[in-house]
Amino acid sequence: MKLADTIRRAGRSLRQAKARTLLTSLAIGVGAFTITLALAAGAGGRQYASDIISSNTDVRELYVQPKMDEGSMDFTKPQEYVEGPAMQFGGGASMKMLTEDDLAKLEKIENVAEVTPIYNASALYITREGQKKYQAGLEPYNAAIKSEVLAGVPGDIKEDEVILPSAFAEVLGLPLAEESIGKVVNVAMANAATGEEKMYPLKVRAIIKSSILSAVGSTTLQTSRATVAEMYDFSVEGTPLAKAYVGATVMANDEANAEDVKQAVIDAGYDAQTAEDLMGFLFQFINVLMGILIGFGALAVLTSVFGIINTQYISVLERTQQIGLMKALGMRRRDVGRLFKFEAAWIGFLGGALGSGVALLAGTMANPWISDTLSLGDSHLLIFQPWSFAAIIGGLMFVAVVSGILPSRKAAKLDPIEALRTE
Amino acid sequence: MIEVKHITKTYGKKQNAFVALDDVSLTIPKGASVAILGKSGSGKSTLMHAMSGLDRPEKGEVIIDGQNILKLKQKAVDRFRAEKIGFIFQSFFVQGNESVYDNVSLPLEIARVSRGKRKARVDEALRAVELTDKTKSKARNLSGGQKQRLAIARAIANEPSIIFADEPTGNLDSVTGDKIEKLLFGYNKQKNVTLIIVTHDPELAAKCDMLVNIKDGKIESIEQADVKAAKVTRRVTKKVQ
Repeated sequence: MKLADTIRRAGRSLRQAKARTLLTSLAIGVGAFTITLALAAGAGGRQYASDIISSNTDVRELYVQPKMDEGSMDFTKPQEYVEGPAMQFGGGASMKMLTEDDLAKLEKIENVAEVTPIYNASALYITREGQKKYQAGLEPYNAAIKSEVLAGVPGDIKEDEVILPSAFAEVLGLPLAEESIGKVVNVAMANAATGEEKMYPLKVRAIIKSSILSAVGSTTLQTSRATVAEMYDFSVEGTPLAKAYVGATVMANDEANAEDVKQAVIDAGYDAQTAEDLMGFLFQFINVLMGILIGFGALAVLTSVFGIINTQYISVLERTQQIGLMKALGMRRRDVGRLFKFEAAWIGFLGGALGSGVALLAGTMANPWISDTLSLGDSHLLIFQPWSFAAIIGGLMFVAVVSGILPSRKAAKLDPIEALRTE
Repeated sequence: MIEVKHITKTYGKKQNAFVALDDVSLTIPKGASVAILGKSGSGKSTLMHAMSGLDRPEKGEVIIDGQNILKLKQKAVDRFRAEKIGFIFQSFFVQGNESVYDNVSLPLEIARVSRGKRKARVDEALRAVELTDKTKSKARNLSGGQKQRLAIARAIANEPSIIFADEPTGNLDSVTGDKIEKLLFGYNKQKNVTLIIVTHDPELAAKCDMLVNIKDGKIESIEQADVKAAKVTRRVTKKVQ
């Protein structure tokens, strides 16, 4: 029998036992449903995580810190004193800081485009004429970190300009529109040694949406690197922390070189982590969750395997005569076996299509609700990828065919004389 | 031509052994109509199975058109059956839940006849048994006679050279049975197809060119048409008395 005819006959046999076929498929469908949702949630979760990463970091960036000695944070025994600036903790522990020399050393590493010290700076307050004072963090603007712009153009920020998160704009009485661009806000800094205050008037360059994805979030102002440096220097001048930094971001000149630069920085005696190293736990977490869900789906599929075997055995018994006739008419054993394997494959296909179809439908409908409940904003937790449907349906067809092997062998082995005995 | 040479078929083993065919030999010329007559358990069905390649006797030869089918591999025997043999059964074995068309199409699909050619052959076979108007009906909705006509259409669809009919009229009333007989013998004469009927009905057997009497796995007698005619007349006379 030709392949196409076998497939057609297999499909027809199933249509003649609609209820049974459907019920058997449904068992697989449950597995398909779970796995489809698991894959969609995994894809969505990874997308969400990489959104978080891209709105916080630049993939070319490395976070560099002085190398930590094994016992530097060990409170159980006395630590030897090491020369150089350090952040003191209680109990005789300290964390070393980077000096200007360190920065210069980092700058000389090959493929390093830029070294920015991490300014652990906070403004005393931010205010505007006739408005209250609010606390604010400070961060140099990085164009590679994506954010949603509500007004203005962040682009090439100048030294007397600032980018406001929308939450600040609102409390400072600035509408989220172009008319606020160019308005002046005042940022006050205080010197930690003397308590002297200094006011920096900054023009609003742009207003960005306060994003829950972003660690910069709603309370951090972004201004030019030079301005942040100046503000930081002013605030720590005269303290032991002047010209010392908790760390630095080292920017590679190209994404492809980030890994090499990381190695070079480590070889130079520092700790270095890429953005992915920092956020890697997120992916790991998502993958574990996805794995658990897929495990449940696989369990459902395993259960349905027995369903398929059972159904197909019954089908072989029921159709003993038909099989006997086909064999008497010269159908080869292999073709008889194939007929039943194709039937199993159809069941797998049906179950896979039903399960993943329902999952797609349910997921698409549930997405807005999930996003709302988890306040994910516009991003969706369930992302359905076309390849996952193909993989699930294909995989389940394969599983079904494998489950159909035993019954199909029974059919193929049937003795036509026995099968056609009428007594 | 079918030559059966010294075939022996035993079922079971040792004490339970049952000799279904015991050193059976016969020759059937091409285009003949042959009745294998015997009671149930006489071995007539086993002989049919051996001649059609469904069963393999442990001894002897079955030579069809010069080829010993007992020596063929299973695949080749299957192919031989698909291409050269048509079967008609007492209980029809039509697939009730399939259409008349699909029932007739089955042996053609098995013989790997292309879809285009199948249509013409199915239509022709259905025309030969006058079931053209039922082409799309489900086989289960047919009457007994129609089912057997459908079975005949299925048997002749692939233009076999030998048709085996196992009690073809056994489940039919006499009027319908007559129709089926006419159809079978008509096809046998018209297409010069060898027709082998397995039956325990002497009247049906009497209509064949050749009559093989079988009892306890052995051939009792082989009668040719003219001799047989006289004998049947005698029997009928006996019955009347």
